[in-house]
Amino acid sequence: MNPETPLSPPTAVFSFSPAAESTAPRAGTARVFVFYSFAVLITSIGAVLFADLLWRVGWSPARIVLLVLFTILLFLSSIGCVHGIYGFVLRRFGDRHNITASPAYRNRSIAGTSTALVFPVYDEDPHRVCESLRSVYEAIAETGELERFDFFILSDSRQLATWIEEEECWFALTRQLNAFGRIFYRRRAENIGRKSGNIRDFLKAWGRRYRYFIVFDADSVMSGTTVLDLVRLMETHPTVGLIQTAPRIVNAHSAFARLQQFANRLYGPIFNAALGYWMQDGGNYWGHNAIIRTEPFMQLCDLPELPGRKPFGGQILSHDFVEAALLRKENWEVWFAGDLAGSYEENPPGIIENAQRDRRWSQGNLQHFMVLFARGLRGVSRMHLSLGILGYLSGPLWLLFLITSTYLIWFRKDTGLSTVVVGAFTPYLHLNAAHHALLVFLFCMVTLLLPKFLSVLDLACDRERRRAFGGVIRTTCSALVETIFSTLHAPIQMLFHTRFVAATLLGLEVRWNTQQRAASGTSWGEAWRQHWRHTFIGFGWGAFIWWIDPTVFWWFLPICLGLMLSIPLSVFTSSDRLGCALRRAGLLLTPEETVPAPQLVQMRARLEGKQRRFAGGDDALLAAIRDPYLNAIHVSLLREEKLSPQKLNGQAETLTRQLLDKGPAGLSAAERLQLASDPEAMAWLHREYWLRGAAVAG
Amino acid sequence: MSAAASQPGVIAGHSLEDWNSAYAVVDRYLEALRVRNRLLRGQLVSQILDRAIQRAEVESQHSTVALACEELDRLVTEWFAAVLDEPLDPGNTLLSSRGRLALLLADMPGKWQDQFLRPAPWPEEFVRAMRESFFRAGPDFQFSQMNPRPIDLGPITSLTNLGNIPYFRMLIAWLGFGLLLVIIFRMTH
Repeated sequence: MNPETPLSPPTAVFSFSPAAESTAPRAGTARVFVFYSFAVLITSIGAVLFADLLWRVGWSPARIVLLVLFTILLFLSSIGCVHGIYGFVLRRFGDRHNITASPAYRNRSIAGTSTALVFPVYDEDPHRVCESLRSVYEAIAETGELERFDFFILSDSRQLATWIEEEECWFALTRQLNAFGRIFYRRRAENIGRKSGNIRDFLKAWGRRYRYFIVFDADSVMSGTTVLDLVRLMETHPTVGLIQTAPRIVNAHSAFARLQQFANRLYGPIFNAALGYWMQDGGNYWGHNAIIRTEPFMQLCDLPELPGRKPFGGQILSHDFVEAALLRKENWEVWFAGDLAGSYEENPPGIIENAQRDRRWSQGNLQHFMVLFARGLRGVSRMHLSLGILGYLSGPLWLLFLITSTYLIWFRKDTGLSTVVVGAFTPYLHLNAAHHALLVFLFCMVTLLLPKFLSVLDLACDRERRRAFGGVIRTTCSALVETIFSTLHAPIQMLFHTRFVAATLLGLEVRWNTQQRAASGTSWGEAWRQHWRHTFIGFGWGAFIWWIDPTVFWWFLPICLGLMLSIPLSVFTSSDRLGCALRRAGLLLTPEETVPAPQLVQMRARLEGKQRRFAGGDDALLAAIRDPYLNAIHVSLLREEKLSPQKLNGQAETLTRQLLDKGPAGLSAAERLQLASDPEAMAWLHREYWLRGAAVAG
Repeated sequence: MSAAASQPGVIAGHSLEDWNSAYAVVDRYLEALRVRNRLLRGQLVSQILDRAIQRAEVESQHSTVALACEELDRLVTEWFAAVLDEPLDPGNTLLSSRGRLALLLADMPGKWQDQFLRPAPWPEEFVRAMRESFFRAGPDFQFSQMNPRPIDLGPITSLTNLGNIPYFRMLIAWLGFGLLLVIIFRMTH
């Protein structure tokens, strides 16, 4: 074991200055200014129209609040709209200022490089993880460059059943591929620092061996060509610290996942083009499907704890944005290679699972407020942090907007005051108040829907993509279905986000029991537990608005309808059957469905019928004790564990005795985990189990 | 089985049923080791039970299952020590797991079932496969220090230096534009 060595002298942070050596094509930061000023311009037009409408019917403090909320929300949708417009234009005319713009990097040799492909996992399905890894391993092997890559499963799993199964799956995979010494497995005894801590521990132990590392998610896959392209790009541009790819959503079965997959694949390209345009070398990191230069990352991205109490203080939860910002702060370029195909991930199968993911992300993004004004960060990094925060704040802001609107309508009815319409700022439009309101509404709809329309238009201009999506007519119908769904889904998400944000700000924990997911998707019981509040709010709000003014009700209908239907919407869209039916109808098709990459097809085929082996910790512990081979694998892996060896010392005898007397069920989950972490105890228990015949209860 | 029964239905002081239980446990363990060939497995179980019966004649206080399992454990451990050329040290509690792992990696269940628990000499290829069979969970460590660098959170802690925010001028320009709109709006209404 080598003694710990510092990376480089503290005074000389890097051996060269990234800023001075830059080779990547860069455009000025003026792009950010022009891009977002365009969004400000669109917002200001809408805001003036709306202010004028409010003026016509009379100012009040509530209306000022309404205008402020409207302006913020319109600004957010304008940003999306500008992405759509820029992306559409960029895809027609191209952008020379992109890291992948010059194909010369493809000829770059990667001889002498070493890259680690890391799969940090936390109680994920081990079969899924191992099949992803196998798929990437085989894809790289086909390129003939396998010897430059090592693969690591970095487990933080806390469930004994998952841990034991991970070991079993890793061993089987490595044996099948004859890849001992190439594919490694490491589990941390303590998951300090969560995912970023997991990566940090990997880097501390092995980081110096690798010039680059590529981070995968449990469900992400990359093609061999893309992996090699990323390494070649890093070799070509020594000042680049990180390159993020744009993962394509694949392998969706449920209707919800297929809707998200379709949206990702249809709207994604123009959004990615626009993102790449304004981000340039000030890109962002999304936590996976990205390549990272190891040394600067190790020097700059070991994140400190934030001062203060949770939820804002403590460990930085959404570490990726901050890591990218810190790299950029020290002049390392962070690029977005949105046009690199062959980077994939999966999507949650239902509305509830999606909300569960949002719950984690919302707290992490809100915590970024603490870092937003950190000294030395680049403006573009602050932009990423702000957009992340606003992405989750938009839910409660929208809710406030709707509540304020409802209050104004109720106030008018309650006071019996008639609305006196006065002349408008825009008299040349010759609009009455109703038409004026309609104009504002249409303006908002255009900012929201224009990117979707431009995405379909973009598809229509590209023969190959058109065919891969099943034709323009099918794509248009699919986009309509997706738009209807997202309209109904938006208010549900608004309430979920409001709940998450409120809980985070109040320092409360959002309770979320493990989901009881039926084979066919979300069960009605689970949907009721998660959505009954939404349903009541939808019916209550709808009835209230109807009581106030039936004509206004129709304006609120899309919102109320989404909430009223939240339970069936959640159940039906999580169903694979509906997803398949839509596919049979030729709807929501994506290129990965019509012309699937062989790599993904093989992975799916291998996963067919693979099920979790252990029902729980009892089963897993018993198997790890009883099965001679599983016990040998487990004990051998524990003996390899030099990072945080677990020894029970005095407790071993008590726990083993308890186990032998009462069986695994006689131990708590924590005790089972403790026992399974001691190699000597596990080896002894195996012998003792068989020496006692069937002494240990099953 | 070599030992003769001293009386009908009894072998070495234990009933046939007790020996049947011992047989089942040893057989189950060999099955767990994936010795799938019934003939080979039967021969191995007989060999182990012969040793257990010999012990039972002098150690009648032990159960047949315990005796058989102890003999199984002893035989397997001795065999691992011999094949892997490792000392048969009572303190080496992990020899058995090392041996079982070697069996799996050398593909004993697939290629070498007939060699399992057989006395030397063994085929050269089998011995090599067993001795070279080990895996590593990770490459050699190359420890490095990683120390968190403090982040100067700036105005969020001091709330004094907002002017240093990059894009501050851009934000001011946008605010100015907004203010202009408000003024025009106010003047025209």
